[in-house]
Amino acid sequence: MNTQDSTETSKTRVVETLKPAKEIILAALATGALASCRKEEPEVIYDINNVQLYGSAAEKDKLKTNEQYVSILFTNLFQTAISSEAAFELNQCLLSIGDQELAREVLISNFFNQQGVQLPAVEEMNADPDSFIIDTYKRFFVRIPSEAEITWVRNFIQSNPYLTPELVYFAFAISNEYLYY
Amino acid sequence: MKRRSFIQRTALTAAGALASPYILPSGRLFSRSGNRSADHVVLVMFAGGVRHQESIGMRYLDDAQIGEPYPGNIMYNMLTGAPPTQKIVYGTGEGGINPIPAILNQSLHQQGTLYSEVTALSTGHYGGLNSILQGASVDAQGLRQRPQKPTIFEYLRRHGGYSASDVWFVGNGIGGSIPLLNHSEHPDYGVKYGANFFAPTVTFHPICEGYLGNGKVYHPENELAPMYQLKAFLDNTFQQFGNSLDALGNTEEEKQNIKTFMDLMYEKTQNGTIALPPVADNGDLYTVGYACEVLQHFKPAFLAVNLTAVDSCHSDFSSYLAALHRADHAVGHLWNYIQSQIPDMAGNTTIIIVPECGRNDEPNAIIDSNGWRAYDHSDLNSLRIFGMMAGPQIDANVTIGSEGSPVGKISDVMLTCADILGIDPQTLIATGLPAEGSASWIN
Repeated sequence: MNTQDSTETSKTRVVETLKPAKEIILAALATGALASCRKEEPEVIYDINNVQLYGSAAEKDKLKTNEQYVSILFTNLFQTAISSEAAFELNQCLLSIGDQELAREVLISNFFNQQGVQLPAVEEMNADPDSFIIDTYKRFFVRIPSEAEITWVRNFIQSNPYLTPELVYFAFAISNEYLYY
Repeated sequence: MKRRSFIQRTALTAAGALASPYILPSGRLFSRSGNRSADHVVLVMFAGGVRHQESIGMRYLDDAQIGEPYPGNIMYNMLTGAPPTQKIVYGTGEGGINPIPAILNQSLHQQGTLYSEVTALSTGHYGGLNSILQGASVDAQGLRQRPQKPTIFEYLRRHGGYSASDVWFVGNGIGGSIPLLNHSEHPDYGVKYGANFFAPTVTFHPICEGYLGNGKVYHPENELAPMYQLKAFLDNTFQQFGNSLDALGNTEEEKQNIKTFMDLMYEKTQNGTIALPPVADNGDLYTVGYACEVLQHFKPAFLAVNLTAVDSCHSDFSSYLAALHRADHAVGHLWNYIQSQIPDMAGNTTIIIVPECGRNDEPNAIIDSNGWRAYDHSDLNSLRIFGMMAGPQIDANVTIGSEGSPVGKISDVMLTCADILGIDPQTLIATGLPAEGSASWIN
């Protein structure tokens, strides 16, 4: 801002002291010379920080607030950020219901009734359950599942024909671990 | 085995089961008192302070405003007495000149017992509500903090074996401590014995309907059952690391019933068919309308509902009179609705009404549009409240105590509710948690 102001002042002073015939050329030269003295603005790059995965669930000991929960849930399901207004309103709605577990279930079932939830296809889940399980643990729990967890969930998926990625996501989203960070 | 000995043994086993202590989910033993005098209790709390002079005193403007010698009863659904004849500002229409007609043919006082002067334990917001629900003194209770001692909801669930959807708290909103009052943080009680709660003017507001009113319906066996199984596995794994989170404990069946109720409320709110009182022009009247819906749907053993509009008295005495008149209208509607629209609860429900605190003897400096002074709540007059109850086995048309001769404490209400619903008050008193000297108003 200061650089720009001084540039404008210098330009004006130079132009005022010279004859009109040479004004344009000199003004252009002066502007070019002054512009070359400008400090280069650093290029702004928007990026996402890498998130460190938890070593295990034991590292999570802090309960998420309602705002944190709905913001993270929304991002996990829609892969886009929730607006601050929606996060505020959702907090109010959740506060107005005594059984928070039930309130979260109702909220998630509403989210799944909206357009835009990013879900893998059932076929993808069934074709490569291990990858699906690892991705789901990373998405919701921000950690890699243990071998025992992978085995149990794989067997569970394979023995429940009605299980879909949506229901798996639902279970993760209402689980106790998901309430902690 | 011969038939006679079989019958004898069966009878003995049954008798033994009835006589032995009831083993609760917690594993602790409590004796059933077996003295339930009603199947349902509805507790109405007036938050924010009701001045004794304008309520039980029936003095309208006569006591509160200098140069306005106009007494009268503006709570004629609850109290017996003639209404004011002049300076009517509490009704409907321009300037509030049209009093709301009475709903009940007989006042609740005529139908029940009035404790005409009861001592409150707190003059502040939420302190009163806490002392009603905890039955305890609340000196160390902070604002926006869970009750420190167990609430009536937890006592009922833990000692009485009532289910989660059998105990309800209907709040007037989510401000302050209201959404925290459905259970305490006491280590022996807490959320797993808490009440279901709605602040219906928030939950069923169009904004929340936008987020919660269009849930996907899942098949209970094919979809929900495996989903909950997977959740249980995830929770068990998490618990192995020492982390667990108690929940309110609605069963899956109860949860589905509550979700059905929510859908019904969104529909009825949209259609304008909520069981509102005849006049519904403030938040309290809407809150009571939804409380009626909770009663109709769940027929709970216990429901507490909180009204709060009278708190406008801090800055607008005329508005306070209107709110007090409407609180009475709300109570009349609630009682009438139970008796006429809920056959399962008619005749076996007890209603208890109590303000959380009174209001000051002297006004503050704020003058309203009628030139009347407003009242806060902080002095000794703010500890003067009343209590009222009507229902099965409650003596009718009885007054206990009188102005200046208080009988009973606000903390008695918790023990009274427990007593009516079959929990021996001595069991609770023996825990040392209720305020010293508290007693049930039954017998």
